[in-house]
Amino acid sequence: MTAHPPPGTDGAPAGPASPAPTATGPGRLLVALYGLFALAATSRAGVQLGTRLHEAPLAYLLSAFSGVVYVVATVALARRGSGARRVAWAAVSVELAGVLVVGTLSVLLPGDFPRATVWSGYGVGYGCVPLLLPFAGLWWLRRTGRY
Amino acid sequence: MHPALLWTVAGCGLALAATGLTLSLLARTADRLLLAATGVTEAATLVQSAAAGIALAGGHPLHSTATFVGYLIGIAVVLPVALVWAWADRTRWSGAVVAVGGLTVAVMTARLAMMWDGRA
Repeated sequence: MTAHPPPGTDGAPAGPASPAPTATGPGRLLVALYGLFALAATSRAGVQLGTRLHEAPLAYLLSAFSGVVYVVATVALARRGSGARRVAWAAVSVELAGVLVVGTLSVLLPGDFPRATVWSGYGVGYGCVPLLLPFAGLWWLRRTGRY
Repeated sequence: MHPALLWTVAGCGLALAATGLTLSLLARTADRLLLAATGVTEAATLVQSAAAGIALAGGHPLHSTATFVGYLIGIAVVLPVALVWAWADRTRWSGAVVAVGGLTVAVMTARLAMMWDGRA
């Protein structure tokens, strides 16, 4: 959001030693999707925690956790620098583990397990985008980090 | 909420998504066409939020008024944010970024309609 490369340098390496920025070119689309899910998951969790925490505390705390993960991933992917890149790797990895674990548990234990999180049923309520997003994120981090 | 208004907003959102994706697929940088399509959709969205807000103030029962009001505000903010984000780095991907915003407006409008009718 600060200095952007001039048009035409779409995703180009900044130099032989430094990785390419993650928030340019296709990364722009990735950050937009992460931002959307950060907003969806945190507002969903906000309503759940604010109005019916007693109904299913685990489900709603998981909801809040997924929201935090998306917010951290969005900010880290939108920023430049090796610190932000490390945070992005961690956040997207946690996100992948989260959607796989919560998705699997919600399918195996539909009665016990919360249905009301972004990750339930591998994110089927959101067009399975929550399942695809971490793979896209890891691929993009790997690709931009290669330089 | 009037069905004609809901369909107009949802239709504008989907048309905007199609326009943005087409620009990206054609490798065209975001231009005035995208700007105009975004402006029209945003205008329709604002009319919808204002109309729904007025109808709500007139007394309409809802499961969760807070969620509904959150949607009314959120849906009005989505496109400006998407456009600013897309415009700050104008590449062939800018259209796809705005397309995400258009799709979000259409989905949120469908959710608003469901909440209004007491189906969610």
